[in-house]
This record gives sequence, structure tokens and C-alpha cells, in this order.
Amino acid sequence: MIQATNLTKRFKDHTAVDGVTLNVDKGQIFGLLGPNAAGKTTVIRMLCGIIESDEGEARINGMSVQQAKADFGYVAQHFSLYEELSVWENLEFYAHMYNISDEKRLSSLLDRYDLAAFKNQLAGLLSGGYQRRLGLVCALAHDPKVLFLDEPTAGIDPVTRKLLWDDFYRLSAEGKTLFITTHYMEEAQRCHQLAFISSGRIVAEGSPVTIKQAIGNAKVYSADISYLPELQSTLLNTAGMILVNQFGNELRLVVTPETRKSDLESTIGAITGKPCTLTISEPNLEDVFIALTQKSPVKH
Amino acid sequence: MITAIIKKEILQLRRDPRLIGLIVVMPLALLILFGVALKLEPQNVKMAVFDGDSSYFSNLIKTGLWSDGYFELYSVNDKQQIVEEIRSGRAKSGLFIGKDFSSLLTENKQPHITFYVDGTMPSLTTAMKYNSNSATDQSVTNDMYFLDENAGTVVIAQDPFIMDTEILFNPDEKETWFFLPGVIGVLIMQIALILTGISVVREREKRTLEQLLVTPMSKTTFIAGKLLPYIFIALIDFYFILAAGWVLFDLPQPSSHLLLFLLAIIYVAVMISLGLLISLISRTQQQAMFLAIFIIVPSILLSGFIFPLEAIPDSVRPISYAIPFTYFVDIIRGLLIKQTQFTDLLTAYASLLFFVFLFITASIIKFRKTI
Repeated sequence: MIQATNLTKRFKDHTAVDGVTLNVDKGQIFGLLGPNAAGKTTVIRMLCGIIESDEGEARINGMSVQQAKADFGYVAQHFSLYEELSVWENLEFYAHMYNISDEKRLSSLLDRYDLAAFKNQLAGLLSGGYQRRLGLVCALAHDPKVLFLDEPTAGIDPVTRKLLWDDFYRLSAEGKTLFITTHYMEEAQRCHQLAFISSGRIVAEGSPVTIKQAIGNAKVYSADISYLPELQSTLLNTAGMILVNQFGNELRLVVTPETRKSDLESTIGAITGKPCTLTISEPNLEDVFIALTQKSPVKH
Repeated sequence: MITAIIKKEILQLRRDPRLIGLIVVMPLALLILFGVALKLEPQNVKMAVFDGDSSYFSNLIKTGLWSDGYFELYSVNDKQQIVEEIRSGRAKSGLFIGKDFSSLLTENKQPHITFYVDGTMPSLTTAMKYNSNSATDQSVTNDMYFLDENAGTVVIAQDPFIMDTEILFNPDEKETWFFLPGVIGVLIMQIALILTGISVVREREKRTLEQLLVTPMSKTTFIAGKLLPYIFIALIDFYFILAAGWVLFDLPQPSSHLLLFLLAIIYVAVMISLGLLISLISRTQQQAMFLAIFIIVPSILLSGFIFPLEAIPDSVRPISYAIPFTYFVDIIRGLLIKQTQFTDLLTAYASLLFFVFLFITASIIKFRKTI
């Protein structure tokens, strides 16, 4: 449904997006995962035809982006509707931009997203969560086949986020293809397919399960140890260390396969003054995310 | 605390190099331009002359006027044409010398000649009247001696002839008649440039433009959709201001209401499309505002609205002709005060239309490029 071949975008002296090739099938929820400034928004803007790529090509539903405009909708990262227009006026405007004036359908869209009560309220006065819903409603006004969502749940509370995701699944079940950018692990895990972008390049792709294997044969250990600055710096300088990550009272270490568990345990024990037992752990997306984002590439 | 705010404001300003350019370079450029341009000493004011006499004596008068460098004389075929030349704007003044001038002069009968001035622009009228003295001063009259055949002596007449001054159009030299039509144009220019000047850049700042670009709308549709409502609003505003001028200041009625409407709609379209172009060029609303101001100020000073075009040196004159407002001033004064014919205003109308075309084309090209 969405095909991108070798998309490249340069801004002055730096390459924001470098040879990105993607393939998204119909009905899938595709997640483009990556840290800030990795090029996620630039990719989505090229796919939506807001900016032109310097190299490569994007096709949606088999057509060029410009020809396919009626087939996709776009929800920007920031609220980008008219604050001084009411909810209904915004929706009506976007529907008319696609030559759609089916009031019944538009009303039912408002109902579906709990916006009916705010129909006559100015969009600028809505709360963040409702603004996000209005953005989604406006993008859905013309019943697109593909929906692009740029960080759709950034800054949204967990309850609203879950509601939005329930809806994404429903849209996907209806046969719509969703393209989502995110830097939330929890969100990435909900996607059918993922591509991991770092510094403008796709560094890993596949299902959340296969992405976790991108960490290669590196080993992941975890232990019940709370944060100690001294410990962190010592571990970071330990040979074979790829990643040190603290989750509350859990310390997670990603190390090269040659690194010996007993060496690590004694290093930690020497600093904490208590014997330490590391348990081998499954890599989670967070480990992969941070490991892939680090400057030194992961050794496979 | 106050230093923190001051520092932050300065830092923010420094992050917008284009704005710094606008507030430093533009005033400098305008200062130099106005320094060169605004001299208030008209030169080469066109004078349509009918000399029915073509004698030694009438040539003395013409030479007297010519040698001053103030008037630039050219011949027309009859008295009627002098008025027509001034009505059309080709001449600002005229001189009529009757065919019996030299015979009356040599009979010492004090012939009359007529000096015509365009009264539309009172300041220029006063200056022209003052400079016309070179037709009657001593360097001319001293040479007007002739042989009195009866007495057999050479006669130097005291006041050999009399020059009558006739003020055409706006004979009372009403300043409001002169200023008000142009003022309407200035007001419309301000309203239009600021209305549309922020229209696109605002959508860019609020990020609604991005959302619009995803829709299947064409770039031309966007431009047209942005122009039309504002043209309509500014057009209504134009007539509102004009009506106020008619009611409050007894502004004269135009020679043709159709031509006035044509002017209104074309002029409004020029200003609205120029505003749109500003909006497409600007990155912030602040930049758009400054650009608008820097267009309005030279428009007022160099268009012939306040200072006559004749007072603007030849080197700067092309800039005057590159200002749409110049043509507006020309046409509206012609329509309201001089009852000028359409044929004489055709080039001015065509120039305004050209600006509409130019600004809209530039807007479309600019819009295609930025996105």
C-alpha cells in the first residue's frame, strides 16, 4: 500500500533521510521507530507530499503521492487545525477540500470520537486529547485508505492513548493502512511491523519480535540494584559493555557475547559491597532502541 | 530580572537575520533613495505651447521660459489642444500666444497671452505660477523694442504684453481635492497589504498550511482562494472610504463610474496580490509587516501623491514607475478632477493590470518552490 524506494532528503549540509526503502502492506499498522531528530517526520512529510524528496520515490496505492492525495489522510505531530474555527467548521472545511459534504457521515465521525458534545466549541479551546481526536477526525473525513500519524500519542495521558490505540486497531481491521511514527517503546510494541530509523537510515526492520533480534548475539543481563552514579561510570568503561540502562531498581546491561558474567558480577560487587547475581534476560525494545541509537554500532 | 528579559529579546531578534536585514538595510536604502529623490524642485515640467504668431517677439517669450530649465516646451496645433494635453496628463502647463500678438505689440496695444496651469496639484501649481515669471521678466521685455513708424523712434514698451494665468481643473486649488483621492489609495494599500500580508505566513506559523498541502487542492486553487475574499472585502472598503470622501469633503464625481469601478477592482487586485506575495516570501508575520511598511512608505513619497513626479530626478523616476500606486494616483486624479478620457488613461490601466499578472504569477511560482 505504501512503497518508498531510496527516499533521500538533504538539508543544506546534512542528510536528514538517507536512502530509506519501506514497504507497508494493506491493513497493517506500521511503526517508524526512532529517537528525536532521526528523520521520522521528514520521512512522513515526504510520503505525504508536503516536501519533495531529493532522491528516490514514494508510491501510495500504486500511485505517485500527488495523484494519491485523495487516498490518504495525515495527522501532524502538532495541532494544526484552525483554532478560531469550531470543531464542526474545521471538519466541514477539510471534508470540502476533498469534495465531501455528507453531513451524516461527518456527524457520526464526531460521535465515534466523543466530539459531538463539542461540535460548536472553538477548536483552540479543546484540551490536548480532544484536539488530537479532532485532528484524527479531520484526517478521516474523506475515508482514506491510508492514514499517516506523526507521533499521534506524544504528550497524551495513558488512558487516552489506549483509547486511541483501540481505535487504530479498529481502523486497521476496517482495512485501513496506518503509518505511525513514534519513539515510545510501548507504542512500537503494538505495531504489526516496525522499521527502526537512526540518523536518517533504516537500521532494523520487521515485526517487534524480529526487531528485538537486531541486537544480535549480544547478551542482556539484569539485576536488582538501584542507581549508583559510581557504578554506572565504572560499568560504562568496562570492556565489552554496549549499554547500561537503569529502570528504577532494575539495572540492565547489554554486553558482547565474549564478556563473562562472573567478571561483571565481581565488578558490581566490588562497588556495591554486596554480592551480586546477574540473571540473563530477554532483550526488550527499549534495549534495542537505545543500543541501536548509540554512536558505536552494535557488533553482530 | 529585567536584564534577563532584555537579553532574551535581543537573542530572539538575533535569531532572525532576515528581520535584522529588514530593520537595518531597508531604512538605509530608503534614506539614500529619498535623499536623492526628494528635492521639491520640479524640472522639465511639460508645457504645451500654441504660438499662432511665430514671430521674433513670441519666440522671445518661449526662449525666456525654456532657458530657465523649468519648463519643457512643445508645440500643439491649437488652443483647444493645450487643454486636452493637460487633461490627459501629457502636459502640466500650457501657453497660448494669439496670431495677432506681434502686430498688437508693435501698435503698443498690450496683447494678452494665456498661461495655463494644471490645478490638480496645488503645490506644483504655485511653483509653476512662480516660474512662469521668466516669460515676463526684464530679460525678455528688454528685447521687445520696435520702431515707431509715425514717430520714427525706437520704442521700448514698459509692459509690452500681459500674461493671464488660467488654472484648469480644481481652480480653487483645494488641497483636499488633490490629496483625498490619493489618500483612498494609501488606505486601501495599507488594508490590503496587511490583510493578505499575514494570510499565508500565519498558516505557516500555525502549521495549518502543512495540513492543507496534504489535501488534493492545487497550488493555483490555493492562491485564488486566498485572493478572492480579500479582493471583495477591500473593494467594499474602497467604496466605503470613497463615499465618506463624497459626503464629508465634497469630492467631485468621476467622469465615468464604470471607469472608477474598473480602477477600484484592478487596484485592489494589485494590492491584494502584492500582499499575498509578501506573505509567501516572509517566514514570520513580523517580517511580513515590515515588508508591507517598506512598500507603503516609498509608494507614498515617490508616486506623485505628495511630491509631483516632475520633482523626482530622472535617475529615480524608473522607481516611481515601478510603483503601482503611481498609476492609481494618475488615474484617480484624472477621473475625479480632470475628467480625463479613457484613451488617455489606457496605459496607466494597462500598467496596473500588468502588476496584477506579475504578482499573481510570482506568487504561484514562489508557492510551488517553497513547498
